[in-house]
Amino acid sequence: MHPPTQFSLANAEGEQMQFPPDGPVLLALVKEDCDTCNLTLPLLEAVHRATEDGLDVWVAVQKRDDIAVLKDRHDLTMPLLDDDALDLSYETDIDTVPTLFLYDEDRNCTLQTFGFDKHEWREIAGESMTLAGRPGADTAIDWASLPEQRPGCGARNYEPGVYERLQALKSGDLLSRLVDLASSDDIHEFMYEQGYTDGFPVVPPTRERVWKMLQGTQRDPQEEVAVVPPNLAPITVEKIAINAVMAGAKPEYLPSIITLVEIACTESFNIHGVLATTMGATPVGVFNGPIRDRIGMNYLHNALGSGNRANAAIGRALRLCARNVGGSLPGGTDRATQGGPHRMTMNFAENEQASPWDSFAVERGFEPTDDVATLMAMSGGPATVADERSRDGRALAGTLALSMSCMQDPKSPMVDTLVVLSPDHAGIFGRSGWSKDDVRECIMEQTAIPLKDRLRSADAGCGLPPEIVERFGGEAALDTPVPKFREKSNIILVVAGSPAAKFSTILGGWAGGAYSVPTSARIGV
Amino acid sequence: MVTQILDPTDERVPIKRSLTPRPEALHGTIALLDISKPRGDVFLDRLEQLLHERAPGIETRRFMKPTVAKPAPQPIKDEILEECDFVIEALAD
Repeated sequence: MHPPTQFSLANAEGEQMQFPPDGPVLLALVKEDCDTCNLTLPLLEAVHRATEDGLDVWVAVQKRDDIAVLKDRHDLTMPLLDDDALDLSYETDIDTVPTLFLYDEDRNCTLQTFGFDKHEWREIAGESMTLAGRPGADTAIDWASLPEQRPGCGARNYEPGVYERLQALKSGDLLSRLVDLASSDDIHEFMYEQGYTDGFPVVPPTRERVWKMLQGTQRDPQEEVAVVPPNLAPITVEKIAINAVMAGAKPEYLPSIITLVEIACTESFNIHGVLATTMGATPVGVFNGPIRDRIGMNYLHNALGSGNRANAAIGRALRLCARNVGGSLPGGTDRATQGGPHRMTMNFAENEQASPWDSFAVERGFEPTDDVATLMAMSGGPATVADERSRDGRALAGTLALSMSCMQDPKSPMVDTLVVLSPDHAGIFGRSGWSKDDVRECIMEQTAIPLKDRLRSADAGCGLPPEIVERFGGEAALDTPVPKFREKSNIILVVAGSPAAKFSTILGGWAGGAYSVPTSARIGV
Repeated sequence: MVTQILDPTDERVPIKRSLTPRPEALHGTIALLDISKPRGDVFLDRLEQLLHERAPGIETRRFMKPTVAKPAPQPIKDEILEECDFVIEALAD
């Protein structure tokens, strides 16, 4: 609570009144639907009448329409000021009404109170008489009839929705351009027309919502987080928050979204290429650590699909940042030939509890207690691998290998492929005592086919060019086994989904080169 | 009722760019830029052959981006700008 030093508010007649007036003043802030305010307004009126011209009593009312109501109800003659905009309430930062400030003739606030405490109110009434030059004079208040104490009511400036609006308007945190809508505009149609959406409706990023979103991070709203291709536009925390609101995110998701934007814009992840490629790649986010449960991410039923707000909104927010700030637009620099549904959003958490191994993040060098996000550029899939029969690691790895051998096409070698193992499948590897590397080595072995079967032919134009045989040592090498994946580390293993059935999912990476490297980072605050 | 929203874009006013005036005739050196897409070389080989047949006297120089996945490195762009009069880029396959 900060006693105001100066302000200007209109009285009931519409005249502006400058605070402080000459001489001592008793200032009160009230609202109409508060029993304690209604109990105390007659007391303030009594002080006003008893102090005559020796002291001003001003009452600021938190709603304009209530001024006339209170005036009639209590037959008030003291000035009632219009704080409908809550400017005074915000600056004073009161959280309770009634609140009283008593100022002496030197404009020092000497006493203050909130709610109704008979002892304190008597002291203020007595001091008011003294300041008015009438010490000890009767205020005509029947103190004996009043209760000892009554709690005040919540001030309007702290009501849900109002508080956020005031902060958004007055805190100075938000610097983005305001887009005005005509009263005839349909907000949703307007946002489509402006090109702000990915095809689905977005939540309008009002100042209140964006301010509330920014409460999810400790970072300064104007901090520059990254430079977003293809337009190479700097993106601030505020811009991310705006797009996070639009994506349907909650404030507690914001640190994760900021981290994804940071990762996406690294040289190693290369979001420019990922979103520009004709192959239609997309960033796929995987989350590890306590944050999964803290923000309610889904790693159980339908983990890769719909129905969970955190999974959906976090990935979508990244895409909206790339679209709206980076300028990645389909048909513009987004040259995806066909794209895929996962280009809207694809983001999930690992089911660490169901994994027989260290978590994906721990495997990548983090601590189990770290909150970690990893982005991978994926193009193919998601494709289901159904194997309800295998009961040991080798048989299951063989099924995975057969399915993975067709990624992109059956002849071409691949780099990164993401294997999202269901808990049931992961459990088979666990019970077989297989490490992740055991799985990878088996897949490398089982996907290896003779070089001659990887060459282009008249019957299938995909695969390696015939002249590559020379690099392998000529015709003698035609029967040499060539693995599908360049390195076993290109086979990325993550566990997600519910212990429901023996189905897993594979996603093929982007093209055949290390254009985009899976990149991880700790999630900040 | 919503009356104002915050701009989700980078707020940059688009810069209007005009094309360089079309020259009357080919002259000097033409850069042929291969972006490392499959068969870009086939296209540029044929184009180079036709240029030499139909515009004798011009020089051609071949350039290649190291990867299709990223924008051309600045040194390549600078070299083309400083040493060539025209550039023809072979885009996607």
